[in-house]
Amino acid sequence: MVNGYMPLSLKEALELRAAHELVPYGGGTDLMIEGEKDVCYLFVNKIAEMKKIVDDGQYLRIGASCTFTEVLDSPLVPQLMKEAVSRIAAPAIRNAGTMAGNIGNGSAKADSVLIEYVAGAKLRLVSVRGERVVPIEAFYKGRKELDLAKDELIVEILLPRTGLENYFYQKVGARNALAISRLSFAGVLHLEDGVIRDIAVAFGAVANTVLRFRDIEHMLIGKTIAEAKKERAAFIAAYDAAINPTRGRVSAEYRKAVCLNLLRAFLDDKGI
Amino acid sequence: MSDAIRFTLNGEETLYNGNPADRLLDVLRETYKLTGVKCGCKEGECGACSVLMDGELINSCMVALGRCEGSNIVTIEGFSKTEHFQVIDKAYAAVSAVQCGYCIPGMVLATEALLVKTPHPTEEEIRTGLSGNLCRCTGYNAIVKAVQIAAKEGDGLW
Ligand SMILES: Cc1cc2nc3c(=O)[nH]c(=O)nc-3n(C[C@H](O)[C@H](O)[C@H](O)COP(=O)(O)OP(=O)(O)OC[C@H]3O[C@@H](n4cnc5c(N)ncnc54)[C@H](O)[C@@H]3O)c2cc1C
Ligand code: FES
Ligand code: FES
Repeated sequence: MVNGYMPLSLKEALELRAAHELVPYGGGTDLMIEGEKDVCYLFVNKIAEMKKIVDDGQYLRIGASCTFTEVLDSPLVPQLMKEAVSRIAAPAIRNAGTMAGNIGNGSAKADSVLIEYVAGAKLRLVSVRGERVVPIEAFYKGRKELDLAKDELIVEILLPRTGLENYFYQKVGARNALAISRLSFAGVLHLEDGVIRDIAVAFGAVANTVLRFRDIEHMLIGKTIAEAKKERAAFIAAYDAAINPTRGRVSAEYRKAVCLNLLRAFLDDKGI
Repeated sequence: MSDAIRFTLNGEETLYNGNPADRLLDVLRETYKLTGVKCGCKEGECGACSVLMDGELINSCMVALGRCEGSNIVTIEGFSKTEHFQVIDKAYAAVSAVQCGYCIPGMVLATEALLVKTPHPTEEEIRTGLSGNLCRCTGYNAIVKAVQIAAKEGDGLW
């Protein structure tokens, strides 16, 4: 085609990306809202390397061009990710929308990105110059600001293989199947012999990026449930101080109150 | 080698010479005169523009033409020539599930996509399967009923 490319290999895609001014196109479900005509798309839907979901022993590697439907159909993908993805829009959007597109639009509302935050996922970014693996939190530098070079593609999402089993997930404000989440929450807890080995909490759609505060999480790591209970009030207060919602259609105070309620519900659910 | 975008449209090899950024919905309606594909929102919200792309339900307003390279696109015009359509059409008629009809091409294709994946859907699965297809007229219950009838009458077809 003239003025558009559909490479079949990653190598070819990266060479094209380096040589031309191209916009990567996954499912088009964000790009086609604008429907810009004066643009040259790099269609990344048929690149085999970006369509696989494999377990390499250390990570679950999700190909960036996998659609939400493909993620839901994979037996390898953890339940928490499936729950979040299953709540995205409706079947036709899930058949088209891709994992990289959800990341690439840069929105703090992106439902799969919330799970990537709470999982401590990493992104494999590749260009003709080489490749790098970047933690999801570092990839988002600010509102719509991504750590992605002009010649790079998001090629895989690296999800830790364990640690997401014991979770609490809520998406609030979804009045119908198509509502973009007004607020979302994911928390995971990893207990070993009654001791908290890991706890992670992430808030979506409340600020410019998904929020996760590792320093606050550290307040509870290494503690027993009984000890964690004693820290509960201080833990919640720390989030109260840290969360700084952007103003939007729904008032900032309201959204912060919902965040803290969801945090309490998570702690209740886990007996903390 | 041709520079055109090559795809199959309702069973026919098709070459499109326009801009790969063109919206599939517009091209289907304007270039190929397939006006059974309806436009309700151009934002992926209503499902009136649904088509089957390689067998999957897709909102054609959310697709750039270049993405169709090598794909098999079926609109309601093509689908209406199939045995599956006959069963779905009869079922919709049996419970008067059609009022103004605007949403129906999309509903029918959503029904097909659902039954291909889940030949014997529960009511909840039907509602999920049709959740991206909005209908202003019917209140959905008759449509859900129609899908149930299609699944029963078409037993073995899907
Ligand atoms: C009706 C409707 C409802 C929606 N509901 C939800 C919802 O509930 N939750 C939700 O999270 N989202 C929702 N969305 C938004 C959208 O569907 C998702 O963000 C989706 O993941 C976008 O993926 P895509 O592949 O379609 O992206 P595209 O539109 O193809 O691309 C989006 C961005 O990512 C970039 N990009 C794509 N692939 C790559 C790559 N490999 N490397 C680098 N950059 C890349 C593109 O250049 C573009 O900037 C909804 C959208 C619509 C239209
Ligand atoms: S016109 Fe495409 S979903 Fe409404
Ligand atoms: S019958 Fe009128 S919109 Fe569905």
